[in-house]
Amino acid sequence: MGAIRDALAGRRIAVLVGSGGVGKTSLAAALALGRALEGGKVLVCTIDPARRLANALGLASLGNRESRVPEEKLALAGLAPGGQLFAMMLDVKRTWDDLVARHAPDQAGRDRIYRNRVYQQLSSALAGSQEYMAMEKLYELATERDYDLIVLDTPPTAHALDFLEAPGRLLDFLGNETAQALLAPALSAGKLGLRLFHLGSSYVAKTLARFTGTEVLTELAELMASFQSMYDGFKNRAAAVRALLAQPEVGFVVVSSATPASVDEGLYFFERLRADAMPIAGVVVNRVTPALWPGGGPTPPASALAEAVAAHFPGARPGPDGLAARLARTLEEHETLARADAAEVSRMERKTRARLVAVPRLERDVHDLASLSRLAARL
Amino acid sequence: MLASLSSAVPGPALLDRRLVVVTGKGGVGRSTIAAALALVAVRQGKRVLVCEVNAQERVAPLLGGPPAGPSAREVLAGLSTLNVTPRAALREYGLMVLRYRAIYDAVFENRLVRFFLRAVPSLSELVMLGKILHEVRFEEGGRPRWDLVVLDAPATGHAVQLLRVPRVLLDTVPPGPLRRDAQWMQALLVDPAVTAVAVVTLPEEMPVNEAIDLDQAVREVLGMPRGALVVNALPRERFSAEELGRLEAVREAPPPLGPAARAAWLQGVRAELAMGYLARARAAIDLPTVEIPLIAREAWDLKAVEEVALWLEEALARHPAAARAASSGGPA
Repeated sequence: MGAIRDALAGRRIAVLVGSGGVGKTSLAAALALGRALEGGKVLVCTIDPARRLANALGLASLGNRESRVPEEKLALAGLAPGGQLFAMMLDVKRTWDDLVARHAPDQAGRDRIYRNRVYQQLSSALAGSQEYMAMEKLYELATERDYDLIVLDTPPTAHALDFLEAPGRLLDFLGNETAQALLAPALSAGKLGLRLFHLGSSYVAKTLARFTGTEVLTELAELMASFQSMYDGFKNRAAAVRALLAQPEVGFVVVSSATPASVDEGLYFFERLRADAMPIAGVVVNRVTPALWPGGGPTPPASALAEAVAAHFPGARPGPDGLAARLARTLEEHETLARADAAEVSRMERKTRARLVAVPRLERDVHDLASLSRLAARL
Repeated sequence: MLASLSSAVPGPALLDRRLVVVTGKGGVGRSTIAAALALVAVRQGKRVLVCEVNAQERVAPLLGGPPAGPSAREVLAGLSTLNVTPRAALREYGLMVLRYRAIYDAVFENRLVRFFLRAVPSLSELVMLGKILHEVRFEEGGRPRWDLVVLDAPATGHAVQLLRVPRVLLDTVPPGPLRRDAQWMQALLVDPAVTAVAVVTLPEEMPVNEAIDLDQAVREVLGMPRGALVVNALPRERFSAEELGRLEAVREAPPPLGPAARAAWLQGVRAELAMGYLARARAAIDLPTVEIPLIAREAWDLKAVEEVALWLEEALARHPAAARAASSGGPA
């Protein structure tokens, strides 16, 4: 077992964070599969898996519900888990709707919120909404199910760690007392149908309306009014989610690839987690080009390869496009990429001083259970 | 083939438009491609602005300069960069609408109002896009301030969210200043004489899936003119299948042959996979494909971007629309 799975051994929740395109989803699935093979009941909750990975996990058509990865699929891949592997895909809109349904005083109140256009925007497109719901779903799963380990793959955020800040930010907004005061005339006029001038003589409100149009503010006022009765429920829940994340039974795994941009973002995630006193299990630098030339010195020129090529490839042509020349060029380029990647891995190591696993770039894409289990072995 | 290419790319050559929007999945090298496109245009004598959107700035540092912040700053002769932030863009936009700074400050520097601005659907996207498009159409002394604006747009979903704001507003907002702004912005975005979208991808599964979805969104959701598909970091097939088979067999041989064979075999596997994904992207996206080979470098700096720019320049010159523009004498 590698350093990351070792660090997660005693924990119940693993949260993978990092910028888009670094392979978080595959790593999340691999970590989950690894634990299931050891005998745990494990869930991986993903956001947007590659189609073949989704198929491998049996996620073709399921949204927002957990489903067990069939034993036959695992057996076909030559895997005999001592435990059980479950997978689910997060549906952000459905999670919002469930949350509203959970806290709404009655069905009419719930439906009023569902119809509100500001809510529709909030629940599907507002920055931070996905992150908030990922955390919300995690809390529900962690408190209402009996998994030994839940692995959460977080959405590709536009801004690092939106998922820690988003709930507070959205709630601050929806429950903002000054905002409610500003909109109070609109709130009290609620049932009669709102007009902008009901926003009062407030200059601020009128000026805002010049930018947004009156209808948007009206719907916003309506949403805030509907939300008032649910605010405490939401707020308590968000506080509980936040408290859960800080528990030692949680382990954050920061994921990056070996490009400078990705390592920069990984470091930013890492610093933010540390500043917020979140439990960090370790760092994964994914898809690292492995060094192949022993000693790491200058790679051999074509002339140094000519003899061995002639011995193994009788008839290979010499010259600038000959096999020896192409081999020399390919090895040199490979080692250049390997040195660049190694420099980024050591920068990550130096700056985090955390448990770090560098996963070599695998020959094939990781989207079947057999390759996931090979990936798990490296973590 | 030529006919289908030119129907996919009506209007002038990519860099003869006024606005090129560069987008694609996270991690595919959008900023590098945006910076390289800008370099190519600068070499053609254009004055170029690269806009990043509320990002940790990459373009200016890639080109060897300090981050520009929220107002344009020249990083190389003829090439400026800018990082558009919601706060600065809102301020600029607010001042344009309200005309008086004191009023703006009273209203918009209010902490409470900033809450609203976050929740009011798409307002921050609107002001950021407004700032960028304002740069596109701004003229001084009877000529445009910039010959070309390259927008280093956010990753797929966020880019669509940004670019569809004018249309959403046109569907929902009653007549007023906001609607008037949405109108000119939308007109500019869908005009093939002005704008083109360049989708960047890597020859890998997820980036290609996303590029295909994105291209569909550009056509069906945004209705914007599409310019090119840029396939970045493409490993070339360098060894024949027969050679690879035999190289695989000697991967464990002692150095120098073993390590060289292993590197070659890895390269071959990767190139073969990449060719498959390239073919899939081409089959699904009827755009001229610009292929940028995988460039092995220890540091990503101006030299690296210049190398990418050379490949871009060559590929764009082969591009039928580019050839058409060249034969008609190009821009004045």
